[in-house]
Amino acid sequence: MRIASWAPVIVLLLLCAIISVINPNFLSFGNMVRISQSAMIPLVLGIGATFIIIMGSIDLSVEGVLTLAAVVLSMLVLNGENANDYGLFAVAAVLIVGAGVGFINGLINVRLKVPSFMTTLGTWFIGVGIANALLGGMATRINDPWIRGLAIERFWGFPWGVWVALLCLLIALIIQNYTRLGRHVYALGGGEELAALSGISVARVRIAAFTIAGVFYAVGGILAAAQLGLGNAQIGNGRLFTTITAVVVGGTSLSGGQGSVLQTVVGVLIVVVLSNGMVLMGVPPSVQIGVQGLMIIAAVALSINRKLMKIIK
Amino acid sequence: MPMNSSLKRLNIDRLRHWLPLATLIILVTVVGVMEPVFLQPSTLLQLASDTAVLFILATGVTFVIMLGGIDLSLQSMASFSSVIVALTIAQLGYVSFGLAVGTGILAGFLSGIAHVKLKIPSFIATLAMGGVLFSAALVASKERSITLGDAERSYQTWVTGSHFGIPNVIIVGLIVLIVAHVLQAHTRFGRYSAAIGAGEPAAYASGVKVDRQKIFAYMLSAGFAALAGVILAGRLSSGSPTLAAEMLLPSIAAVVVGGTAITGGVGSIWRTLVGSLIISVVRIGMTFLSVNIFAQNIVFGSVLVLAVAVTIDRSKIPIVK
Repeated sequence: MRIASWAPVIVLLLLCAIISVINPNFLSFGNMVRISQSAMIPLVLGIGATFIIIMGSIDLSVEGVLTLAAVVLSMLVLNGENANDYGLFAVAAVLIVGAGVGFINGLINVRLKVPSFMTTLGTWFIGVGIANALLGGMATRINDPWIRGLAIERFWGFPWGVWVALLCLLIALIIQNYTRLGRHVYALGGGEELAALSGISVARVRIAAFTIAGVFYAVGGILAAAQLGLGNAQIGNGRLFTTITAVVVGGTSLSGGQGSVLQTVVGVLIVVVLSNGMVLMGVPPSVQIGVQGLMIIAAVALSINRKLMKIIK
Repeated sequence: MPMNSSLKRLNIDRLRHWLPLATLIILVTVVGVMEPVFLQPSTLLQLASDTAVLFILATGVTFVIMLGGIDLSLQSMASFSSVIVALTIAQLGYVSFGLAVGTGILAGFLSGIAHVKLKIPSFIATLAMGGVLFSAALVASKERSITLGDAERSYQTWVTGSHFGIPNVIIVGLIVLIVAHVLQAHTRFGRYSAAIGAGEPAAYASGVKVDRQKIFAYMLSAGFAALAGVILAGRLSSGSPTLAAEMLLPSIAAVVVGGTAITGGVGSIWRTLVGSLIISVVRIGMTFLSVNIFAQNIVFGSVLVLAVAVTIDRSKIPIVK
C-alpha cells in the first residue's frame, strides 16, 4: 500500500487529535452520537456516489433523488396532509422511485450517449421539479411513528437511522467485494475498452450501478425526512456538495478505477468531524461550504494521476 | 458509400443549424395563437427584458462550453455579485458595479487556474468554486436578503430606466451580444477556442497556448455571470446569496438548445441568443398554462438532456462517461 492511500486516515486522526485538544468535549459519548447523526445521511449518499465515481462517471442527481424520495415518503406514510398510511409499503415505493430515477440516468447515459454529468444535471432538476409539483410549494408533516422513530428512537445509544446507514454500508461492501457487478464497476473505471473486450456488458453494468446509486440516495431521502420530520422541496439543498466532497476527500479518484466504499466512510468522517469541530469552535455553518469547496479542489488535485490524463475537460 | 454518408452528414449538420431558429419561430407562433396578448409590442419588450439576464449568463458559459468545458459556478457568482453591489453601492456608487465584475473575473481566473494547472476536471473545479462563492455570499450578506433604498437605486437607472421606449436592460443585453460576438467570431481568442474545442491535441500541436485560452474563457464566464448579478440586483432592487440560485439550469439549457455542442468546437453567441429566447418563450408559455414556477424545472431538465443528445458530437467521445 502506498502512503498516499493512507493519507485520508491520517488526516482524520490528526483532525480528531487537534479538535479534542482544543475542546475535550469532542470525545464525549454525546458528541460521538451527534457526529454519527450528522454522518448517517452523507454516508448513505456517499456510498451510492462511490460506485458511480469508481466507474469514472459522476452523479449530480443526488439532491434530486433525495428530495423526490423524501417528498414521496412524506405523502404516503401517515402525514398531516392526506389520509394515506402505507407504512412499510411507502418505504418500498420510495426505494423503487430511487431505483427508477437511477435506472433512467443509466439508460440516458448508455442509450442516448449523453455524458453522465449532463444527464444527471438534468435529472437533478427534474427530480426537484417533480417534488415541487407534488407539494405545490408546501411541506408535508410526517406523523408515522416508525419513520420519526428512525431519528428519535435509540438502540445502544445511537438512533436507528445510524444503524440503517451501517446496514447500507454492509450491503455496499458486499456488492463491491463479493459480486460480479462490483468487480465490473472497477473494470469499467480502469479502462472501458478493455472491459468491453473482455466480454463485460458495459451498458448493463452502467445501468445497474446508476440504479443502485439511486436506491442509496432514496434511503438518504428517507433518513432526511425522518430527521426533519417533514418532506419539503428544500430538504436536499447542499447535499450534493457534501457527498462529492466526502467521496473525493476519502481518496476515490474522479478518473475512475480507484477507490472504495470504505474510503468514502473515511471521507464522510473527515467532512463531518471537521464541521463538528468548527461548530465546537464557533465557526458559522456558512463558512463550512466554502471550506468544503477548497477541500474538493485540494483532494482532487492531490489524487489525480496526471501521467494518465493528457486532456482534461 | 462515402458519398451518401457525407450527404447525410451535411443534412444533419443543416438540421442542427436551423432547428433552433425554427423551434423558436414555431414556439412564438404557437404561444401567439394561444394568447394574442403575447404578440403585442409591450409584451415582446417585456420578454426581451426578461431574457437579458439569462442571455448574459448563457453568453459567458458559451465561451467555456465552446472549449468543451463547463461552468457550474455561474449562479453562485451572479448571486455573490448582487450581494457585493447591495453592500457597497451606498459608499462606492458606480464603482460597486466594477468591483462586482472585477471579483467575477478574479474568481474565473482562479477556477481556470484550478482547472488548467491543477488538472481538475472543469465541472468539479467550478462546482467547488461555486461552493466557495456561495459561502462568501452567505458570510458577506449575513445570510439575509439586502433591499436597496431609493438613494441607491438612483445609481441603477442604467438597468431600470429606458431610452426611446426601449428598456435599458435590453440595450445592455445588445451591447453584450455585440462584444461577445466580436470576441468569439473576430478575435484570435475566438478562433483558438473553436480550435481547442474541435480538437485539443491538434490545437496544442499547432502552437496554440491552450492553457491561456482556457483561463481567459473561465474569466469571461465568471465576469459575465457577475455582470448578470449586477443587472439582477438592479432589476430586483436587492442582493441576496440565493438571488440567482435558479439560473444555472436555464443558462446551460439555453446554450445547448441553441445548438452549441457540449463537446466543444461548434457554437456561436447567436445560437445562444436563439437558445435564450427559446427558454424564455417556453417559460412564458408555461406561465400562460399556469405551470408552477418550480415545476418548470421538469421541462427545462428534460429539454437539456434532449438537446445534449441531439447536438453532441459522438465521434469526439468514443467512451461516454
